[in-house]
Amino acid sequence: MSIQSLIMDLQKFWAERGCYLAQPYDLEVGAGTMTPDTFFRVLDKRPWKVAYVQPSRRPTDGRYGENPHRVQKHFQYQVIMKPSPSDIQQIYIKSLGALGINLQDHDIRFDEDDWEAPSIGAWGVGWQVLLDGLEITQFTYFQQAGGIDLYPVPVEITYGLERLEMFLEGKDNIYDLKWSEDVSYQDLRFIEEREFSEYNFSLASIKRLRNSFLSNENEARMLIDKDLLLPAYDMCLKCSHFFNLLDSRGAISVTERVKMIAQIRGLVSQIAEKYIARKNTP
Amino acid sequence: MEFILELNTEEMPPAHVKAALVQLEERFKEQLLSQNVERRQIKTYGTCRRLVVTGYFSPTQKDREEEFIGPPKAVGMKQDGSFSSAAKGFAKSQGVRVSELKVIKTAKGEYLGLKKIERGMPTRDILSEILPQIVSSLSFPKMMRWGESSFRFSRPIKNILCLFGGKKLSFSIEGIRAGNSTTGHKIYFPKKIKVRSFKEYREALKKMKVVIDQEERRKMILSQIGRKLTSLKAELHPDEGLLERLVYDIEYPYVILGSFPEEYLELPLEVLSTAMREGQKLFSIVKEKKQQPFFLGVADAYQDSKSLIRKGNERVLKARLDDAKFFWEQDRKATLRKKAKALDKIVFQEKLGSYEDKTQRLKKIVSYLADKIEATKEKKQVIQAAELSKVDLLTEMVREFPSLQGNVGGLYAREEKYPALVWKAVYEHYQPVSLDDEPPASLTGAILSIADRLDSIVGVIGTGITVTGSKDPFGLRRNAQGVCKVIIERKLCLSFMRLLDKVIAIYGERLQEPKEKIKSYCLDFFSNRLRYIFERQGYRYDLVNASVSAGIDNLYHSYLRLIALDSLKDSPSFEPLIIIAKRVNNILKDQPLFKVNQALLAEKEERELYTTFSIIKNNIIPLISKGDFSQAQRIIFRIRSSINSFFDNVLVMTDEVRMRRNRLALLQAISKLLIQVADYSQIVIEGQDSPK
Repeated sequence: MSIQSLIMDLQKFWAERGCYLAQPYDLEVGAGTMTPDTFFRVLDKRPWKVAYVQPSRRPTDGRYGENPHRVQKHFQYQVIMKPSPSDIQQIYIKSLGALGINLQDHDIRFDEDDWEAPSIGAWGVGWQVLLDGLEITQFTYFQQAGGIDLYPVPVEITYGLERLEMFLEGKDNIYDLKWSEDVSYQDLRFIEEREFSEYNFSLASIKRLRNSFLSNENEARMLIDKDLLLPAYDMCLKCSHFFNLLDSRGAISVTERVKMIAQIRGLVSQIAEKYIARKNTP
Repeated sequence: MEFILELNTEEMPPAHVKAALVQLEERFKEQLLSQNVERRQIKTYGTCRRLVVTGYFSPTQKDREEEFIGPPKAVGMKQDGSFSSAAKGFAKSQGVRVSELKVIKTAKGEYLGLKKIERGMPTRDILSEILPQIVSSLSFPKMMRWGESSFRFSRPIKNILCLFGGKKLSFSIEGIRAGNSTTGHKIYFPKKIKVRSFKEYREALKKMKVVIDQEERRKMILSQIGRKLTSLKAELHPDEGLLERLVYDIEYPYVILGSFPEEYLELPLEVLSTAMREGQKLFSIVKEKKQQPFFLGVADAYQDSKSLIRKGNERVLKARLDDAKFFWEQDRKATLRKKAKALDKIVFQEKLGSYEDKTQRLKKIVSYLADKIEATKEKKQVIQAAELSKVDLLTEMVREFPSLQGNVGGLYAREEKYPALVWKAVYEHYQPVSLDDEPPASLTGAILSIADRLDSIVGVIGTGITVTGSKDPFGLRRNAQGVCKVIIERKLCLSFMRLLDKVIAIYGERLQEPKEKIKSYCLDFFSNRLRYIFERQGYRYDLVNASVSAGIDNLYHSYLRLIALDSLKDSPSFEPLIIIAKRVNNILKDQPLFKVNQALLAEKEERELYTTFSIIKNNIIPLISKGDFSQAQRIIFRIRSSINSFFDNVLVMTDEVRMRRNRLALLQAISKLLIQVADYSQIVIEGQDSPK
């Protein structure tokens, strides 16, 4: 039992259901939803099935390696199916069975939890999935991305790998998890958590972050003008990460927060519109 | 014949299920009525995964007699009784012989026409037609699309079961064909089974671990909880909202009793019960109001034979309590006073400044309020409470559990040994959260609650934001109702107008709107809220209007005025007084104001009226300022006979201008006195025109 065997089980399960297995995206993102394999591919009308692990960074969740549950970087297992299959809930339940969980012995609940990512103009309707009270998955029918109504509707299933593994191993501390038989989560991640917490909360230069936000925003605008949508979107992801860092430095006021999120959303919406227009012209 | 409809969906939120069941019952009744299908015993049931309607409907529509009206009898029938060409034409157009036409009496006179009997269609056909309409007409607080369809519903529909007289009905909704099968519990019995009747359906589902009747599930939960509590000799920390949620959240309830380490008992009950409720939806258990190291949870299961559900929940709860304990310790490392220095960093509302600004305003408002209601003893404490009231917004605990704002600040203030009047005020100042909630128990809490809400209301309105229909982004209605509730229940007497002036003045230059406009908007707004509260309590709307439109400067007196009216509404003197008061008002309509000159009172009856009026006035003015409106009212009854004989014997609208004006002036003085007791013109009397 280990995180990597959990990943392998999920890969096998979803590959067998027709998903293409993508590799993690190589930029800092807050969630698997933000990577191009999800963001762009949900916009158009073509069917799409993908599954991948995505390391996800949330600087404000850092706890210097001292909290047994919270980390500033965690691993998501992201699945997108478009259009959403009619039996997707049963498929998902089966996937838990495939991980060796005997559901007859547990309480599995789909608890109302609508999802929203304002910086990429995306929202959906769905649940957090609770297994004996533990949140293990976010299950969402996307309704909009980049401010555009999605049709057909994609379903997104995001497993929290650490949570799931804690459940499977019966551990109370994230750092006690095994990544493989010989390597623990502690070995791999502890120093990283400590150092990044220090950086995110205390040392990240607010001035440099603000400048970076601005220069990437400008770059994105330039690229949108040149119709280079994928690079433009990368710039937006960077903006979003710089925004998150500024936030963890406590440098953003409430009004500024609204403004910066609106700036990113504005760019992302333009990209989404252009992307759709391009798909619709032969 | 028996009818069953079951829509099987993915998990809907409890509020959606409840909304849908109400709508389904209404739509079925409406549609069947308009389709002439007889029905009885329409019942609805729901779980998070099912919406169920049953009932008995007649097998066919009622036969319908329809009239087709042709030409008037005078046109269609000649004097000799033979038919004219108009009648023949009509008969032809209806495909009948002219001799079949009959005389039909209508409101407009006698016409030629015919009656046809239309045979009722089979109900089965009607249902197949109206069911897709009924289902797609359901509306939910938030709707979604799924798959490749543009159909919107609460959550995806998986299966439709629909039987009429034991046979399936044929229709489909968004590609899903109705059939005669359903599925059981999503984990234990996901396979389809067929059913033929409601009894069979209900029993089969129960075997497959689904209890469709919400009331039955509620009873199951309560009885299981009861059993666990008896063994513990403890009580549930009551939480109706949570129970109501859980009833719809699950299809088969299994109550688990779990425990947590005693070290967390040092956390206050409020924090423990919130940590349990939010996220895992667990009930906390108390003995003599003290938290016990146990919880109760409701699983969607029929057993926990390996105790895995209990252990899983215990582990998750321990992690949450760990966090809460960490926050509790972390937050107390700096005192509230020290933390307060960062209040200027958090924005209350963009145009209204930071929470530091709000705190400064609150201090001034509570000090004014304390003076006005003569709370001299409490003044110092309530100012101190205002100073601390918003500091908990800066704590980790409130960041984690926003619903505990106020409570958390109060608890930390208590830990820091502030006097009870201070910490309780902080603790209670968000109360009442709704009209069904209790107002603060402490006077200091009540003052702070009024000040906080009024600051928000005046500020938001002063920035030009108005409340319309469903748009109330700052919850101003709830806030205003809170103010009214606190003032009335604590029987506080103070001038609401001057309070508004004060709050507006404290804001000073921050408010963009003109002061008078803000004030009059606020007064209107509060009058409407007051009407809403009173009508919700079941008072007659016209009595409510009579009380509220007599003025709301003293909100508590508006209430006293209303109960006086309500208690006297059936007295034999009531109606005659209103009739006479309306008569007075009618005469005075559009008249400028005049002044009474005693010397000009010529007739006996007008001198008498003046005397009666003066005596009554002297008697009731002190009663009014005391708020004794019942007594004031009873005394007012006595003016009626004098007014009557005045009207019978004295010509008000005489040609003699000075006399006329003097008589009008007398009536104006009376009217002015009456309106201090109630605005009688608002009261509706049967057989009279209702007020505009």
